[in-house]
Amino acid sequence: MIRADELTKHFKVHRRKPGFAAALASVFRRRYEVVRAVENVSFRIERGERVGFLGPNGAGKTTTLKLLAGLLHPTSGAVTVDGYVPSKRPPELLGSITLVMGQKSQLIWDLPPSETYAMNRAIFDVPKAEFDATLAELTELLELGKLVDKPTRQLSLGERMKCELAAALLHRPKTLFLDEPTIGLDVAMQLAIRDFVRRYNQRHEATVLLTSHYMDDVVALCPRILVIDEGKLVHDGDLRQLVKTMDPDKRVSFTLTSEVGADELERLGAVILREGTRVTLRVVEREIPAVVGRLLGPLHVADLAIEDPPLEEILRAMFGKAREERAASEAAEAGGAT
Amino acid sequence: MRRYLRLLGVQLRMSVASAMAYRADFLVEGAMSAAWMAVALLPLFVLYGERDTVAGWDAPSALVVLAYFMGVRAVVEGVVNPSLVELVDRIRTGAFDYVLLKPVDAQLLVSGSRYEPWKVLDLLGAAGVAVYAFVLRGHGPEPGHLLVGLALFATGVLAMYALWILCAAASFWVVRLDNLTYLLSAIFDTARWPVQVFRGAWRIVFTFVIPVAVMTTYPAMALLGALDAGTALASAGGALALLGLSRLVWRAAIRSYTSASS
Amino acid sequence: MRSGTSRALRALPTLFRVGVAETVAYRAEFLVWLLTSTLPLVMLGLWTSVAGEGPFRGYASPDFVAYYLATLVVRNLTGSWVSWQVSEEVRTGALAMRLLRPVHPFVALGASHLAAVPFRTIVALPIALVLLASSGASALSGDPGQLLCVLPSVALAWLVTFATLFTIGSLAFFITKSMAIANLYFGLFSLLSGYLLPLPLLPRWVATVAELTPFPAMLTTPVELLTRTLSGADLARLLGVQLGWAAATVLVALTVWRLGVRRFEAVGG
Repeated sequence: MIRADELTKHFKVHRRKPGFAAALASVFRRRYEVVRAVENVSFRIERGERVGFLGPNGAGKTTTLKLLAGLLHPTSGAVTVDGYVPSKRPPELLGSITLVMGQKSQLIWDLPPSETYAMNRAIFDVPKAEFDATLAELTELLELGKLVDKPTRQLSLGERMKCELAAALLHRPKTLFLDEPTIGLDVAMQLAIRDFVRRYNQRHEATVLLTSHYMDDVVALCPRILVIDEGKLVHDGDLRQLVKTMDPDKRVSFTLTSEVGADELERLGAVILREGTRVTLRVVEREIPAVVGRLLGPLHVADLAIEDPPLEEILRAMFGKAREERAASEAAEAGGAT
Repeated sequence: MRRYLRLLGVQLRMSVASAMAYRADFLVEGAMSAAWMAVALLPLFVLYGERDTVAGWDAPSALVVLAYFMGVRAVVEGVVNPSLVELVDRIRTGAFDYVLLKPVDAQLLVSGSRYEPWKVLDLLGAAGVAVYAFVLRGHGPEPGHLLVGLALFATGVLAMYALWILCAAASFWVVRLDNLTYLLSAIFDTARWPVQVFRGAWRIVFTFVIPVAVMTTYPAMALLGALDAGTALASAGGALALLGLSRLVWRAAIRSYTSASS
Repeated sequence: MRSGTSRALRALPTLFRVGVAETVAYRAEFLVWLLTSTLPLVMLGLWTSVAGEGPFRGYASPDFVAYYLATLVVRNLTGSWVSWQVSEEVRTGALAMRLLRPVHPFVALGASHLAAVPFRTIVALPIALVLLASSGASALSGDPGQLLCVLPSVALAWLVTFATLFTIGSLAFFITKSMAIANLYFGLFSLLSGYLLPLPLLPRWVATVAELTPFPAMLTTPVELLTRTLSGADLARLLGVQLGWAAATVLVALTVWRLGVRRFEAVGG
């Protein structure tokens, strides 16, 4: 079980203005700026859950993950993983978690992945029989085959990621932190990794925490979603609920078979898209039966579909709103200062 | 403990495997060892071509110091240096995060991560110089002196290792490690001379601040039977104290790394 | 070509400014690098001890002081880490970025390294002055005309060193162990350039070999101009030899670089 209570992480960043004089000045005095990467974030995650972190670049997703994995000390607040404090890095905890970073490799570059595996077996003190069984299982699930005996530098990005996952899971961790594991991979590989993570989670009842650029990854894998923006937790719950609270209206799409006036469509709902005969309307949920009745009845439309609003659209609206608010408050501050 | 021994075995095997993959390096390394030995010996020849003794050291005794210098350097370049170069690489690429996530001591994991097996050649060269020095003297060392000499060789290596760890720890805060390693090699270079050759401030610096005396001069004196028990103990104790200090600094560095990096 | 050269010239002030900013940003690294080149001070300690028991083959204590201080100053002004820089960029592929710019890397890197010179002077000069004041002023050359020639001589020494290191860095195009070569180079340099010992103290055959290499032009020549009174003919000969080596090493550097880049492009990085 993972608990975070009012987790906060601030960084001090060195700032310097361009120019020669500023360069000289910074020899003697450096200016620092505080970046609030994570701000008062609290949540609980039970054993076996699959949880996804969503948020724009620089929102604090990776920092949160690193705080949970113990790579960073929190500035304030508390975090525990299975009852341990991660930043103390007790061996018992380290032996039961793993972190995979899509942009960082733990495989030894010049040697085949099997050598890294041998090394990790020694490091995690995995008995030989158990190691062989796990490796066989991972080889099958990830379809590694002969890859583990090729030097790492000769592997493609996707192949390397699969070997990376195997390296991270050889000690059968109970908690998986996955930071952008599918970054740069093609769609087929993305699906394979997604599939693997789900099966691993089900087979070993492992907790999975995932951040990803690709909304699809998170949607497909994680029943529960934490949305982080500007270091703050702005949503915690399942996907459906997120969509409901943000945009309760449905999307109704159809193809016209006869000429219908614009005012007629407007009366049914807000027109979001009209391209030739293809139309998408935004309709309040309780009016759906009436609207559908009218469309299928007098208007004779084809290909009728009723959907939730796309997640991308919702998130864009969400983060966009936060950004606008911030811009507004900054403008107000600047106005007050002059 | 068993875990660390197994780990050591795996790392050694891997290093030997990759050394065997580049067998041509054997020739390059051999040539380099010979060239460096020439560079090391020449100033000694110049000096002793003119003088019989310098600061109480005759040529064969100075050769013993040089042998210790080459020996310590061989171990450092064969074991410590490659590991720490790898450490820099890991910090730069962010892969050091993976090191911190392993349930073993990060310092031990980092310290033995890479070896340069060919540096054994340098070690053999050092032994050769020592043997040659004793041939010049006309008699070998007494068994007791040999024992103390070897023990102090070990503490000398540990002292050098401690300095390296201090540098590695420093690199978490400000400086790029490769720079510091050059500095360390440059300072260690003075260890090829008996510390008594230097006067005044130099000798104080090289005995206490940067203890090159502990790494070569005192061990050589022990082997030659010219070191009293008190200095021998102090030398070994100093090396171990330095090792302890480096450990403390390393841990502080890791703490700072995890509280500051992004 | 002409436009390339003029563009490079116009870019120089900016390159220089960025170089200064880099030196400042890496000030701790820079300080360490400076400390690294204190080997002359150690040798100074050694040889003044030795000469304290009586002059060593004509070198008395003040001679050693003057020699090693001059060595320290010249080395601080001329040394650089460009071989490491180039081989790293080749190894990591960062070089591709450099190739896209219309300024030759030799010029670009050269400007950034020259930019470090003022900072080095700030650190090196006080050390030299203090030690000079305390002991060795008498051992310096007294001829003002000759002392004036020290400046171009140091500049040439810088160019020979820079070109040689650039060549060694460029070897990374062809071999994986280019930094091992750089180590070997430093061993040869210590011995043959007079960095470790004044060349006249070396065995005769070693000194003869040294005369056939560019190493004395990197260090010994400006040091001699500073510390020994020379005849006009000797002065001209020394500077001429230096100029010759400068031309030769720059030519070799540019050629090796061009061949390397061709190979780099053929392999596709």
